[in-house]
Amino acid sequence: MVAGVVALALTALVPGASARTSAQACPAAWKTGWQHLANTVKAPVYCPTWMPNPLDAQIRGDWQDIYSIGKDRSYLVSFLYHGEGASGDVHVNFRGYPGRTAVPRCKTVVLTGKKTLRGTTPCFADSAGVQKAPGIRATVYRVNQDADQWHVLLAWRHAGSLYTVSEHVIKPYTFRQVVTNLDRLLRSLVLVRPQG
Amino acid sequence: MRLTRRRFLGGAAAGVLGGAGVYELVDKLTAAPARRARPAGALPREQHVIDLGLVESEGVPVIVPPLHHEVVTATLKITDLKTAQAGLERALVELEDRYSLDAAGLGVTVAWGLPYFERHVPEQAKLRLPFDHRAGKPALLPARRFPSDPADTVLEQNDVAILLRSDSRAHIDDARKALFDDLPYLRMTSIRRGFAGGGFAGKQSLPKKMAMAAGVPGADLIPDNSELFLGFTSTQKAGLGPRLIANHETLGFVDVRGGYFRGGTHMHLSHIDEDLEAWYLNFDFDERVLTTFRPGLTSVKQGTQTVPQGPKDFATQAQTARAFERTGRFGHSASIQTTSRLLQDVVGPDGTVYPKGTAIPQRADFNTLDNPFAWSATPDRDKLKSTPSAGVHFVVFNPSSDDFARNRLAMDGVLPDGTKLDVGPRSRAQGFNSVLTTTHRQNFLVPPRAHRSFPLAEL
Repeated sequence: MVAGVVALALTALVPGASARTSAQACPAAWKTGWQHLANTVKAPVYCPTWMPNPLDAQIRGDWQDIYSIGKDRSYLVSFLYHGEGASGDVHVNFRGYPGRTAVPRCKTVVLTGKKTLRGTTPCFADSAGVQKAPGIRATVYRVNQDADQWHVLLAWRHAGSLYTVSEHVIKPYTFRQVVTNLDRLLRSLVLVRPQG
Repeated sequence: MRLTRRRFLGGAAAGVLGGAGVYELVDKLTAAPARRARPAGALPREQHVIDLGLVESEGVPVIVPPLHHEVVTATLKITDLKTAQAGLERALVELEDRYSLDAAGLGVTVAWGLPYFERHVPEQAKLRLPFDHRAGKPALLPARRFPSDPADTVLEQNDVAILLRSDSRAHIDDARKALFDDLPYLRMTSIRRGFAGGGFAGKQSLPKKMAMAAGVPGADLIPDNSELFLGFTSTQKAGLGPRLIANHETLGFVDVRGGYFRGGTHMHLSHIDEDLEAWYLNFDFDERVLTTFRPGLTSVKQGTQTVPQGPKDFATQAQTARAFERTGRFGHSASIQTTSRLLQDVVGPDGTVYPKGTAIPQRADFNTLDNPFAWSATPDRDKLKSTPSAGVHFVVFNPSSDDFARNRLAMDGVLPDGTKLDVGPRSRAQGFNSVLTTTHRQNFLVPPRAHRSFPLAEL
């Protein structure tokens, strides 16, 4: 029943193309988690002030999925709504690569009958234009790897670091709606700087 | 009246259309290409040959397909075949009188399935049907499933399939009415519709416009002037068999047994669903190129749609196997070309020289939004849905069923000498193939024009 209500809400609340969000400040309820992340990676991180329905961006909240920080301080914070049955998913990933701006490479594995062929490929590929928000000029990537597979991803550079946000193209959101969501997400981002 | 972008955005336009549904948009979204009229004269012996124009796309000669395509399948309603033979032939001749045999007019190809020959003319068929002595089997075989086909691919049992091709929807509607509504001989089992082309002059192509209008998933990801949904031009001249090469008799491995079917060919018909989002969101451009064509093809400029596939561009079996060893990939075109291209020069019965590397199959496939058909007499079996879906009605002419099967097996990594490139049927390493799902298949025999109407019934 709950899943059904959420699915209905998703259908009703898909944002329109005209939706615009002006970034203010990281919402109070979400600030603690993002501030902790910035402090841990010792670099600014981007906190969203808007998320596609039904997600919020509260780290350690109801929708947080992956929270991973690498030895190189790169991070992946993921929020996931996994609908029951065929109602669909809403999945948004935030990444940061403090101190480096190159597109990272991801491992590939091709299994054939006799052997396993290993290689690497750019984690973000098939660039398809640019989306802008105040202070951000993001490249749109359509073919992405690992946790961003089947996502549309925006990547941009800030102060010597690379940042990304991506959303899975899957029901209830169409490709076009995901692009609209990402545009709104990008406009909603605010920087949270490390403290202490 | 043309639709403006505002009027068709969001698929709303499809909801107010008439009998041809979303396909009525074809005429609203694009103008028929300028074509040179076919010179007057006798019609060709072959039913499957139709005159089409050529343009250059990214420096490569490309055949301009007809805008509209339709295949109607049917079973027989009657048992008096001789009367039916005369009646159908009269109707076909009247269509030929009304429309020129070219894309501006109308192309009609009548193809007969094994159930027709086995149920209605079994004795004559035993004596006259062509025999593929390379395969050691009849030239017309029952349809089969291939390694990458799902277990529920429907192997159809139609008596006849009629392929209608034209730049004009009205010509096709007129032909269907004349052959099915106005005659009492055939009971329709399905109608399959689609379109191809546009975009060669740098304008947005028909498949892109149609997919956007229908709102199918992934429509936004199709390159703007792509000839087909999957983004590459597939009708380049060198990639299609020349005029008569697909005839049973041309390459010499099919015995036409007395000659009744000389000038005929074999037609395979299938419906393939295409997952556009899986294609465009999981494979970057370079990988789309290598999996569509061949591994190691690294010189293709980003965004290119027409990748040359001339006689010298094809990969041999050994090259394909070596590339697979190295990369774990084999490329859709490269694997098929191990069987679909001539391995040596061949001289046809009329003296035409077909050089090594020449393509054998003559494809007449077209994109569709049918799911899987526009109409079906057995909607439950065919899993008919009214929501549009991106796909292709694959129509190809080969000398025999076995020749088609060799090509199709090679597409799944089974090479002509039996070498199996060991990739799972639905593996991502299959690349191009992994986003295709075949829902229906059937083989047909296309008699020469003189015997296209209820073949063998007069004997």
